[in-house]
Amino acid sequence: MMTYIVFILSVIFVVSFVGFSSKPSPIYGGLVLIVSGGVGCGIIMNFGGSFLGLMVFLIYLGGMLVVFGYTTAMATEQYPEVWVSNTTVMGVFLLGLLMEVMLVLYVLKSEEVGVVFEFSGVGDWAIYDTGDSGVFSEEIMGVAALYSYGAWVVIVTGWSLLVGVLVILEVTRGD
Amino acid sequence: MNPLIFTTILMTVLLGTMIVMMSSHWLMIWIGFEMNLLAIIPILMKKYNPRTMEASTKYFLTQATASMLLMMAIIINLMHSGQWTITKVFNPTASIIMTSALAMKLGLTPFHFWVPEVTQGISLTSGLILLTWQKLAPMSILYQISPSINLNILLTMAVLSILVGGWGGLNQTQLRKIMAYSSIAHMGWMTAVLAYNPTLTMLNMLIYIMMTLTMFMLFIHSSSTTTLSLSHTWNKTPLTTTLILITLLSMGGLPPLSGFMPKWMIIQELTKNSSIILPTLMAIMALLNLYFYMRLTYSTSLTMFPSTNNMKMKWQFETKRITLLPPLIVMSSLLLPLTPMLSILD
Repeated sequence: MMTYIVFILSVIFVVSFVGFSSKPSPIYGGLVLIVSGGVGCGIIMNFGGSFLGLMVFLIYLGGMLVVFGYTTAMATEQYPEVWVSNTTVMGVFLLGLLMEVMLVLYVLKSEEVGVVFEFSGVGDWAIYDTGDSGVFSEEIMGVAALYSYGAWVVIVTGWSLLVGVLVILEVTRGD
Repeated sequence: MNPLIFTTILMTVLLGTMIVMMSSHWLMIWIGFEMNLLAIIPILMKKYNPRTMEASTKYFLTQATASMLLMMAIIINLMHSGQWTITKVFNPTASIIMTSALAMKLGLTPFHFWVPEVTQGISLTSGLILLTWQKLAPMSILYQISPSINLNILLTMAVLSILVGGWGGLNQTQLRKIMAYSSIAHMGWMTAVLAYNPTLTMLNMLIYIMMTLTMFMLFIHSSSTTTLSLSHTWNKTPLTTTLILITLLSMGGLPPLSGFMPKWMIIQELTKNSSIILPTLMAIMALLNLYFYMRLTYSTSLTMFPSTNNMKMKWQFETKRITLLPPLIVMSSLLLPLTPMLSILD
């Protein structure tokens, strides 16, 4: 199973995306987002990105999704919609599930898949050799590089976040 | 809005477009587009009524979808070329997706449906920023990837845009919708020549921005958003009536005025590349545009439009100060003799 772990995790990833794209109420969307975040973390970790995976858990799930969950809990209705409560939602979910099953069967049958672009297994993304010096991890060096060569990116993203807050306050002000 | 916040947000819109135009890394370009989109939402929502909120939501949804498509095209490009610099796009799939994404941002057919609705729902000044400044960033990216754009898709979108821009504007009396359809048609002209001579795209963009700026300033000056209310300008400031006439005919592309220059150059460039049916069709469809501009001039400057008697005299509010209107009017009508100077652009 370990050789196919990325494939299995990717299938679960897509299924959970279908789960929240079929638009149940936001609370259930958040629930499925937790699953997809965890599974996505697993996929990244299988390619050696342990730092990035932990970032997903800490910041995305533990920060952003928690805030999202709290605000949704404040604004939710008494009987939120589940996947089986509304015909449309269930129909879309089943359709997405069906398409994913057909794609998985296609992948399992033939060597190469050419839906939008050619895809034949993990390819040259598979890691045989860690590639780093063994003293420090290359990932963390990437974070360090962000603050040295990539200072412009930090400035731009920091400014975007500040303007994001200003815009949200301005839009929700009302009058 | 608080003046400090308004200045910050306006500067962020400018910064977003500047980042898009100056970056050499695809990710920074995407960040620039998102920054631009985020910061223009409160500008579109200056007044807090349901129409502006609906218009801002529609704008946000379409532009966010376009940004997502752009990101997908960037990643496919990364997969096939292994690098992030902006040169031509190395994969046909990525090129098609990127062209569609930028067409959605510009408002080309078949992604033009948001332009009239969003332009109608917002105030005149916001509509001005939407139709002029927001076109700069996607056009600069199209310019940079122009060698690798699929010609069939580009020309189809361009010709359909000219058709839709002309045909769709025929039944309109609301000035903002007229300007929106005019923008769709002009974007069609710009993208038609993109694959042949991108310099002319930039020329057309420049002259289009000047003319649209002039038109919007004239509308803001007379505070009019419908044909009926525009037709009362003869009473308030007779001079602007004449200027509306001249600028509208320039937008229609009539010869002694500067709006003729881009159309002339584009038709010449297309015929130099041995396509004759295409510029003929484009020129014929530009007549539809000219028709509704002329109808606007007819009702505004050339006749006294019928209205009820108590509306004939416009209330004399304090005159708004309009920035730079005289130079804009001069530039949008008298630039045609400068056409030989285009030879320095190559």
